Amino acid sequence: MSELALFLIRIGFVAVLWVFILSLLSVIRADLYGRRVINRIAKQNAPLLTAGSAASLGIDDGDSFNPSEIAVLTGRTAGTNIPLENKKEVLIGRAPSSDMVISDDFASSIHAKLVHVGDDWVLQDLNSTNGTNLDGKKITTPVTIKSGMTIRIGTTTFELRS
Amino acid sequence: MSNVSLTQAIPMLLKAVPRSRNFEAVLLFWVAGIHAFALAQIQLAVSQRMSWDMLYYWAPPTISAWILHYVLRKYVLNADGLLLPLAFLLNGLGIAMIYRLDLAEITRGGQDLFAERQVWLSCFAMLIAAIVVRLVRNPLVLRRFPYLAGAAAVVLLLLPAAPVIGRTLNGATLWIAIGDLSFQPGEIAKILLAIFFAGYLVSRKGPLSEIGSRVLGMKIPSAKDLGPILLFWIASIAVLVIQRDLGTSILYFGLFLVMIYTATGRGFYVGIGLVMMVTGALVASRLFGYVGARFDAWLAPFATENYTAQGGSYQLVQGLFGMAHGDVIGAGLGSGFPQLIPLAESDFIFAALGEELGLAGIFAILAIYLLIVYRGLRIANTHQDDFSKLLALGLSFVLGLQVFIVAGGVMGLLPLTGLTTPFLAAGGSALLANWAIIALLMVLSDSSLRRVKE
Repeated sequence: MSELALFLIRIGFVAVLWVFILSLLSVIRADLYGRRVINRIAKQNAPLLTAGSAASLGIDDGDSFNPSEIAVLTGRTAGTNIPLENKKEVLIGRAPSSDMVISDDFASSIHAKLVHVGDDWVLQDLNSTNGTNLDGKKITTPVTIKSGMTIRIGTTTFELRS
Repeated sequence: MSNVSLTQAIPMLLKAVPRSRNFEAVLLFWVAGIHAFALAQIQLAVSQRMSWDMLYYWAPPTISAWILHYVLRKYVLNADGLLLPLAFLLNGLGIAMIYRLDLAEITRGGQDLFAERQVWLSCFAMLIAAIVVRLVRNPLVLRRFPYLAGAAAVVLLLLPAAPVIGRTLNGATLWIAIGDLSFQPGEIAKILLAIFFAGYLVSRKGPLSEIGSRVLGMKIPSAKDLGPILLFWIASIAVLVIQRDLGTSILYFGLFLVMIYTATGRGFYVGIGLVMMVTGALVASRLFGYVGARFDAWLAPFATENYTAQGGSYQLVQGLFGMAHGDVIGAGLGSGFPQLIPLAESDFIFAALGEELGLAGIFAILAIYLLIVYRGLRIANTHQDDFSKLLALGLSFVLGLQVFIVAGGVMGLLPLTGLTTPFLAAGGSALLANWAIIALLMVLSDSSLRRVKE
């Protein structure tokens, strides 16, 4: 074995160790900050929904699902219901001023909101750190809630019931 | 996903299926490659050619890791995906280093070989980890018998002092031996103690954290609630007297402090605990010759009287010389002289790796430990259940503290102790205990996610 080859092997080994560790660090970065890039894109592409602007669209899909309450399934407040009657918007987050307060380390202070659009309720993530899941999938754009869909924020899951 | 390098693929894979077993499988391939690289490099450097011998040191641990991976896939699908590859990487580096020291021993004509034993012990330890995963699928089972765990830990700690089976090596009474089999019960005791503290503190944290009077802006617990900390301090001192080893004693007391602090959120316990610990250590260094000698060797390793003394600083200084020779990028695996350090395969494997991998390599190893501890703390942070939180915290902290005490000792920052380097050092009981810790952390992380899903 030539000296040079041994030298290269020796540098190579330490380098391989570090490449391994750094790639793991990139993984950890992802689980600390979430999918930041995608959230930013989602924010740019999806204008913020408000009940006012939505009403002007006059959407009516003829769907018979008219939820009247939010039922919390798991999490600290499991078992409680939040009535939806006469509400146009439900702000969800850790902030005490939210319509639905989620005290959970994984919820952002202003995490997501439900907006009443025509006959439907639309869920929009408000650029939260850990994202909002609808039926196990992280949402990136506003999504219409259908009967039986479960929403998960941190460790709290809830659904809309009529 | 065509045309992406492995490095790029890993974050993608993890994002798509978080903490998945598939990601673990990718990492296991990689780690097996690093292990083979290390063995090949050692053979090239020592004997200038590669031989099939390396398969013997490579294949059995790799197969065991895959068996463990299969068991995880079967029983704890959602468990953390980084812990197994990280622990296996350390285990593999340890085997490679011990193999390298064996080659030096053979060249010297010696008979003290450890690598073969280490290979089979690693396989055995991973098998035990698989059994732990299978048996303890729900960690709350452990909550049922905290006092039993505590009592078992005390028995294990006292065993080395028992007649007939107790053994004293290099001044520390840490071993028991039956025939040719020797065992270090203190390693298992740390897991049992973590279970005991978690169970005890979960049921007692109310009184421990709330009752008390305010003095100088600090909440002082009532005398009754100082009982446990005093009791455990006395127990740690007893361990020090019986086992004649400062490290073990500090490890258990540190574990206790961190767990009581986490359970109650009172800095007072940490403050008084640290004062008690330092006082205990200083008094012990005056009272007991074996602790005093370690202190002398630590404070003045290069003084002639310490260097030449029996059990003095010779070993420490050889380790320091070795690491200095290693410089930043190391002498290269197989190209240094780690065999000159006494007990390089067990107590001083950290110095041996420091010499051959250099500062860059040692930092990589410390980073791996850091990642393991980080994953453990993350499990503790995300878990719903208080008992599991405390247990995950205790287990990962005890691993981190042990690395700190050992690495500090070898580098001359702390007095040298009889603790082993987790996963790296030759020795079955340590491997067994540390793999069991990994198995428990896996089970804890799985149960945390299972709860969210249900």
